[in-house]
Amino acid sequence: MTLSQTEFAFVSTLVRKEASIVLAPGKEYLVEARLIPVARAVGAANVNEFLAELQRRPNPAHQRKIIDALTTNETSWFRDREPFAALTDVILPELVKSRSAARKVRFWSGASSSGQEAYSLAITLSEALPPGWSYEIVGTDISTEMVKRAETAEYSQVEVNRGLPASQLVQYFERAGAHWRVTPQLRKNVSFKLMNLTAPLPAMQPFDVVFMRNVLIYFDVATKRTVLQNVAKLLRPDGWLFLGAAETTIGIDDNYERVAAGRTSAYRVRTGAPAGAARRG
Amino acid sequence: MSVEVEVNENDLAEMVEQVWESYLDPEGINPLIPTYDENQPSEVHSSVSITGSWTGHIVYASSTEAARRAAAAFLAMEAEEVSQEDLTDVLGELANIVGGNVKAMLPPGAFLSLPQVVLAPESSARFPNTTRISGVYGIWDGEPVSISMWHSSSDNNQEEGA
Amino acid sequence: MTQMRAMVIDDSRAMRMILKRIVTKLNFDAVEAGDGQEALNLLADMTEVPDLALIDWNMPNMNGLEFVTNVRADPRLREMTLVMVTTESEQSQIVRALAAGAHEYVIKPFTEGAMIEKLALLGLVPTGANS
Repeated sequence: MTLSQTEFAFVSTLVRKEASIVLAPGKEYLVEARLIPVARAVGAANVNEFLAELQRRPNPAHQRKIIDALTTNETSWFRDREPFAALTDVILPELVKSRSAARKVRFWSGASSSGQEAYSLAITLSEALPPGWSYEIVGTDISTEMVKRAETAEYSQVEVNRGLPASQLVQYFERAGAHWRVTPQLRKNVSFKLMNLTAPLPAMQPFDVVFMRNVLIYFDVATKRTVLQNVAKLLRPDGWLFLGAAETTIGIDDNYERVAAGRTSAYRVRTGAPAGAARRG
Repeated sequence: MSVEVEVNENDLAEMVEQVWESYLDPEGINPLIPTYDENQPSEVHSSVSITGSWTGHIVYASSTEAARRAAAAFLAMEAEEVSQEDLTDVLGELANIVGGNVKAMLPPGAFLSLPQVVLAPESSARFPNTTRISGVYGIWDGEPVSISMWHSSSDNNQEEGA
Repeated sequence: MTQMRAMVIDDSRAMRMILKRIVTKLNFDAVEAGDGQEALNLLADMTEVPDLALIDWNMPNMNGLEFVTNVRADPRLREMTLVMVTTESEQSQIVRALAAGAHEYVIKPFTEGAMIEKLALLGLVPTGANS
């Protein structure tokens, strides 16, 4: 029993629409393998029947289960390393001077997925901030399942192997059955919210640093611009935005300027740009 | 002393998926497709025993062809090049990796044996006085493969008496 | 650039083949040993100390933890980077290995990418190098 072209197309459209994930043709077996336990859990005789029923009568809960089953994460801890090095070497020393009155910094992990970036930021901040300082990290994602996963803060053996130094694994995680869970000391500073970056954003306190890497690549130019304008409204005037290595604001939103940050670069809102309202005329 | 062991089918399935992702199907195109058939046939099997805080066995069983393909994937060679030694080594290592990860979920004081490989069906060597507590049964590349966990029932009796 | 050398220490021949394949791809010269004692014997005869050792924990004769302790006690082997590669994944075991002097710890099963990322953490693989 294999998925038909039509069934595969139905599933791939669903995950592209809901999670911006592209399933290449040829992954039919993988899709089927992941969906067999889902079909079984909802009481369908097999995957074909499960999908046929879903096509007849859309069921958001079942659609979520499909997306969850197919969006395993390849996310590494401290992904790409340089932005994290830039934080400790350049940005945090600067923030420690400019925020010395409040002694608090706020970070945003945009498209936080299963949470590795947000918790990597928490490890970095808890090690680099001077005593007496506090930090808050907000992760946001478009998928309810991902928000839930990030909140549970549990990672598989294979996931904790990815780019996480062993000394930090034993310091910031504890065994939870087959998994590893982030310690409460880090978790209490990190929260996750459901958010669509392309829609008008809810009111939030502004952020000192925004990590929004490998998100814009999924969008067309007009949507990229909307997202960047949304972010500008929530970035402190002297704050920093990190994008993925293949992403830029250049040619999309001129209210940002690219600046060097350690061995990589980040983006800041230009002085003189209409703060928090980077609209184009 | 009563020892509550919580290694369920989901835990076992997750470990198995990690072994596939790491060694047998790194491209994510040839996963183990679950059949939930506890009685599917096998031609070869490997096992590790756990003693100490918990007593039992972890058993990896498959057809000879699946074992050959597993060895080929594991050792990055063609299936035709796989020798009997390659096949035996890889079967042993697969049981060892799953067993080691199961051990980490058991109470402290569990010990893992060296793997044993038997080029005969799993049914030929059912471990005496054991009960199956969880298992993952599936078809990989059209061939049967299973990973199961067996609890030594002498230990069970102790628990009932405790 | 000088030739980097790695030692792969595991009683499973299949696992040694996997590890050897990965380090060879990363341009290391690789030697194999089936247990800690064999590895120490090989090291005693070497004029150039390897840059890296990938070490299983459970092995006959001498286990990986004892090997790490022996290497750390020998000033001649001070420069060797020691990475445990094992199914031993209790938190207490990782702490023991790091305390004994292991630099990194990779839990089996591992993907090739995960192993390369760990070696990059140790500065043994250039980060972002594609060739």
